[in-house]
Amino acid sequence: MHRSKALAALALTTALTTGGAAGAAEIQLMRFFGDCQNDYGSVNDASEANGECGIITALVNEFNATNQGGHTVTVQTAEWGAYYDLLTATFQTGNIPDVAVMHSSVMPDFVSRDLLTPLGPLFQEAGIDTADFVPAALQNASANDEVYALPFDLHALLFHINVDLMEQAGFVNEDGTVRLPTSPEEFIEMGKQFEEATGQNFIAVESQSAEGMMVRFFNSLVWQQGSTTLADDGTSANLNGPEALAAATFIKQIYDEGLADPGLDYPGAEQAFLNGQAGIIINGTWVVDSYNAQAEGGSVPLQNYVATNVPALMGEEAVWADSHMWVIPRDESRAPEEQEAAVAFLTFLNDNNFEWSRTGHLSVRQSVIDSPEFAALPHRANISNTSQIARAVPTTQNQRSIYNAIMSDFNAMWLTGAEPQAALDSAQSQVERILRRANRGG
Amino acid sequence: MTASPQARSVPLAEPRTRAPRHRVRRRDWLTALLFLAPFMAVYLVLLVYPLFLGIWISFRDWDLMGGDYGWVGTLNYQDLWTDRNFWAAARNTLWFVALTVPSMTLIALLLALAVHGPGRIRAICRSVFFLSSVFSVTVVTLVWAMVLSPDRGLIAPVVQFLGGTPVNFLGSPTWAMPAIVVTTLWWGVGLPMALFLAALGSIPKELYEAAELDHASRWSVFWRITLPSIRHTLILVVVLQIVGQFQIFGQPFLMTQGGPANSTRTLVQYIYETSFRDWLVGYGAAMAMVLFVLMMLFSMLQLWLGRQGDDR
Repeated sequence: MHRSKALAALALTTALTTGGAAGAAEIQLMRFFGDCQNDYGSVNDASEANGECGIITALVNEFNATNQGGHTVTVQTAEWGAYYDLLTATFQTGNIPDVAVMHSSVMPDFVSRDLLTPLGPLFQEAGIDTADFVPAALQNASANDEVYALPFDLHALLFHINVDLMEQAGFVNEDGTVRLPTSPEEFIEMGKQFEEATGQNFIAVESQSAEGMMVRFFNSLVWQQGSTTLADDGTSANLNGPEALAAATFIKQIYDEGLADPGLDYPGAEQAFLNGQAGIIINGTWVVDSYNAQAEGGSVPLQNYVATNVPALMGEEAVWADSHMWVIPRDESRAPEEQEAAVAFLTFLNDNNFEWSRTGHLSVRQSVIDSPEFAALPHRANISNTSQIARAVPTTQNQRSIYNAIMSDFNAMWLTGAEPQAALDSAQSQVERILRRANRGG
Repeated sequence: MTASPQARSVPLAEPRTRAPRHRVRRRDWLTALLFLAPFMAVYLVLLVYPLFLGIWISFRDWDLMGGDYGWVGTLNYQDLWTDRNFWAAARNTLWFVALTVPSMTLIALLLALAVHGPGRIRAICRSVFFLSSVFSVTVVTLVWAMVLSPDRGLIAPVVQFLGGTPVNFLGSPTWAMPAIVVTTLWWGVGLPMALFLAALGSIPKELYEAAELDHASRWSVFWRITLPSIRHTLILVVVLQIVGQFQIFGQPFLMTQGGPANSTRTLVQYIYETSFRDWLVGYGAAMAMVLFVLMMLFSMLQLWLGRQGDDR
């Protein structure tokens, strides 16, 4: 009797589930963040995953396993450097993804050409409360008074510190906090002392061409002086002012004084830091969780790890930030149930914003930021105010080529010994040319 | 390459036909057209039309995603004039061609001379040297990035063993381009070698026998018989190399992304970035026109130099 009851219940459940899956759709998700199917392919609980790649992989798995509509998300990953070229190509080939990740700095290119689905009404229908987004995030996701993206994080530049090495150099205060420089002069002075005491580089930072970490640092330094690299309306470049020159000169000095190895690429810089060969790595919020896990796990020489804001070296606190967002690329041929599934997936991602903020990214939801579990995450006390000092590049098209133009000219400062003024002049003329194109009113 | 008199050999006797001459001629024309048509169709659709479309686009503000913003005259070309990245890319490309084409031709010729002839070892070597050409650019660059890596590479331990510090080849503005040249040589030497082998195989044996009877030294045999006999192949190889190497893209794009400090960004990469990253297809087309003219000039120069010898 008991068994037949159980069977009946099972049959009922099956019927219900199958019934619920009538409007089920299979949707395409396109993203960067890497591929870690080997490690997380079978993890269905996002809270068990670590790092950007692990958490987003587990989030998709969890959605596929638990969503009420029976929708399935299939993932197409692309390498960071090629991602936007591939996404662009899908608009030509017709294989447009239903959901795609996008940086807020890149969104103007797509919005101005009407390539994204407006999400305001869809969010309202799905119950996504845009008022819960912190103002900077909502602004990032909006254009022309319309929301075009689900903001997922704010990511800023941070100083990641090897406390043991800093202690060896005498830079740890009595209360256990790390002493950080407050001016460029002090920075260089401390760097020299550090290298004398430890025999290691003071700074590890990606210095080749792929990431342009120093461009982000440069932007931060210019903002700290109350200036900007681009005019706020995004129509002209401001790379030949005294603020830009001071920042560029300081960055070149870091290399000239031997405080950083100019030969390091992104993995090389991470390796140097994790191997205990550098006091500070300049990298983003996205690695906090991963560095923390590695330091605690004892798998790397780095043991005592702390993340802090980029210190105010040239005036007020300010730091470069961008935002990862999810968009629904416009596709006239998309079936209504696919759009429904896409919105359901975005809702799921928004509901699990806390899981994503475990990466180290700053949450975009005020309710998450205020939650006790967010405050309990490691290192968040040091970077609790990062979203307040975060600055984003002004909204303008072709940010990627602006970024790359500055990056190429900057690299010449430490790789071929170009003078800061010459590098800035060259960058200025390049960026002006790009902006002239971007602002043709298209 | 050139129309030699033999190519237009005239039959000694006109074939006798009853049909009037002009009809025959028309029939010949039709046959000729019929034979030419498949090629002409492909040529027109895939080469002539895109070329002129490219020229037309280069005078417009054409956006990859936003469509055509209209005629802008020579604005794209004026922008090129002041675009430092473009000139850097042009310089890098010329530097790459100057490094690659002569060394590729020389190495291919030397290899061909070494492995030409009978013998199992030579046959094996022929296949081995040609083998690298079958790999895709992705595989080749991956292998060479590993070989050149300063921490995990093949070269680094040797340098360390000899007491030196390993060079970060791909991270150095001085060494990145030569490293890409070496990669390209390793990858691309197979085809020109095969062309040289074919040319060497078609030199009449009698010439060498005659030289042997005259007790000619190996050097003068090479200089007076081998080299003149393969002259046309040599020109062909050089022209193919110029045309091919001007279009270098995959190796620097995958190995250095154009860096460090812009030292390996080539024209095709910059055209690609302009057109597909920045969506400025019109501007990209203008750059492509410059590349086209450059390639044509150098190939013509090469052909002209080759023809000088024929007239003598």
